Amino acid sequence: MHNLSTVIRFEIVRTLKKKSFWAIALGFPLMFGIIFGIIFLSNQSTSDAAAKLEKQQFSVEVTDNSGLVRPEVLKAVSAATVTDRETGRAHVTAGSVDAYFYYPHDLTKNKIEIYAKNVGLFDNGRYDAVARALLSSSVQTDMPADVLAVVKGSVTTSTTTFRDGKEFDPMKQMIFPGVFLVLFYLLIAFFGNQMLTSTTEEKENRVIEMILTTIEARTLIIGKILSLIALAFIQGVIVVLPALIGYILLHDKLSLPSIDLSSLPVDWVRISVSAAIFAISFLLFTGLLVAIGASVPTAKEAGGFIGLVMMLLFGPLYAASLFISTPDSPFVIGMSLFPFTAPIPLLLRNAVGNLQPWEIATSLIILTVSAAAVMAIAVRLFRYGALEYSRKLSILEIFRRRG
Amino acid sequence: MDSIISIKNFSMQFGKTRVIDDLSFDIMRGETFGLLGSNGSGKTTIIRALLGIYIPTGGALLIDGKPYSVSGSVKLGYLPEERGLYKKESVIDIMMYFGQLKGLSRDEARAQSMSYLQRVKLEDKAKLRLDKLSGGQQQKIQLGITVMGNPELLILDEPTKGFDPVNRRLLMNIIEEHQARGATVIMVTHQMEEVERLCDRIILLKDGKARAYGTVAEVRQKFKGHSLNDIFLEVYGDENDEEESNHA
Repeated sequence: MHNLSTVIRFEIVRTLKKKSFWAIALGFPLMFGIIFGIIFLSNQSTSDAAAKLEKQQFSVEVTDNSGLVRPEVLKAVSAATVTDRETGRAHVTAGSVDAYFYYPHDLTKNKIEIYAKNVGLFDNGRYDAVARALLSSSVQTDMPADVLAVVKGSVTTSTTTFRDGKEFDPMKQMIFPGVFLVLFYLLIAFFGNQMLTSTTEEKENRVIEMILTTIEARTLIIGKILSLIALAFIQGVIVVLPALIGYILLHDKLSLPSIDLSSLPVDWVRISVSAAIFAISFLLFTGLLVAIGASVPTAKEAGGFIGLVMMLLFGPLYAASLFISTPDSPFVIGMSLFPFTAPIPLLLRNAVGNLQPWEIATSLIILTVSAAAVMAIAVRLFRYGALEYSRKLSILEIFRRRG
Repeated sequence: MDSIISIKNFSMQFGKTRVIDDLSFDIMRGETFGLLGSNGSGKTTIIRALLGIYIPTGGALLIDGKPYSVSGSVKLGYLPEERGLYKKESVIDIMMYFGQLKGLSRDEARAQSMSYLQRVKLEDKAKLRLDKLSGGQQQKIQLGITVMGNPELLILDEPTKGFDPVNRRLLMNIIEEHQARGATVIMVTHQMEEVERLCDRIILLKDGKARAYGTVAEVRQKFKGHSLNDIFLEVYGDENDEEESNHA
């Protein structure tokens, strides 16, 4: 126990001292901050530019063959009317007027024609906006408010669905169990490489003999895994905390939607199942990554395997729609029960609520047995592959050794 | 004196190559024992099998009557032939880490580390990353870790490798101090002058078998009073002669 806590403290402290940890930890929220900042500034400048355009005054002449544009609307923008297109166009080319709009007889078949003085790529858009605005303002004048709402598509709906006689919102139901799916993805994505290389360092630095004669290999591996979990938690806090503070401080300023967690349904059974799948799957993949790391001589060679593990793990995401729409298909059941592809299908299906009780029981047993076996292999590979400084080890070779 | 290490009928084979062949010997508690032989004679293999890093093909290697385990009763200090530590960590962090793994409290580990660093005149390097130190300085740190916690059993595999004469003397002094407080010391080496100076008993290995075993005086007597250096040349000389005749 003393050694386990020593290993955990050592691994956590030295990782926290690494610049790369902070680069990743702070880089993630920073990147999101920058993206949101750019979007906000871009929206702000677009809306400022649009407002500026609206205020810009320019002289305009109009020919309305459609009969839809109302004279009072034209008067409001000081637009004059001309009888034919050629005259209007000639006024523009002569520079006596800034723009000319020609509304054809049948707007369903013909385009509104705009002739205008060039004011730049972006600012030329003002002519199109005003031409459309003249038309829509004219049409909407006599329209009742409800009809206008329908035409504008601003009518809203409210849906209430029921299951077993009780209100049931599948979208809200999947939020809490679904958190584990996101968490699993982030953990493996952030720490996969670190898990893979966590044991190669001892080999590469030739410290392995001193380590193995000072501490049990099992204690060292468990200590490393627990420290990775603790670091993942620290990283989670680093990612979530700024977002939370930002939300609280800027909620009103940025008109962010209010989140009422108390309105979300809490299904403790599904949340517990997700938590169990998450924890066991995490151990399974940590063991797998550590085992791969222990069987190769250098971190560089270990790095080559990360893509393979990621493909195995996250490949099933491409079949996500199948996991939701056809949960009874042999493919979906097979992917859910095979331990190395199971985490994503199981977490996703549990989140949407189509995982059967027998599947939960079977998959949890399979995952637990697999995680224990992989962990045992990882420890053995580390223990007996320790002095293989220059070559890869096969699992068969390790188990052929007695003891 | 009772035996602290007992090796019985030990055999070791890698693939089809038999490195150690039915080897038996004892090491007594409190003595300094020399494990001698040329490169590839099986010295390091014996140590690794004794410490459970290798699984023996046959026989038994016991420390205090049991196969070695980290949680066993004997406090071990081991300086392996393959040297290395965590290169990116500070000297004091590495020393304290190993000190704590050996059962010292954090304060004890810090105190012992600083005391050793002062002794080897590296106290100003305590907070430096290990890879900022020279090779010889790194060797000293590794030696410091080995002797930390006053081990009862000190196994030093090629301890003077990479040491200059000044540091070699420092190492010898440290070994003598541990001898004086009753530690059992095993030295794996082919530096015969060190053996003559420090060792009570020796075993001389060739082709995985003992060619000589006993006190230094007994071995010298067996080889007509020659120095250990001459004995070494006599035992391995024919090997070199064979190589030379093969080249001719």
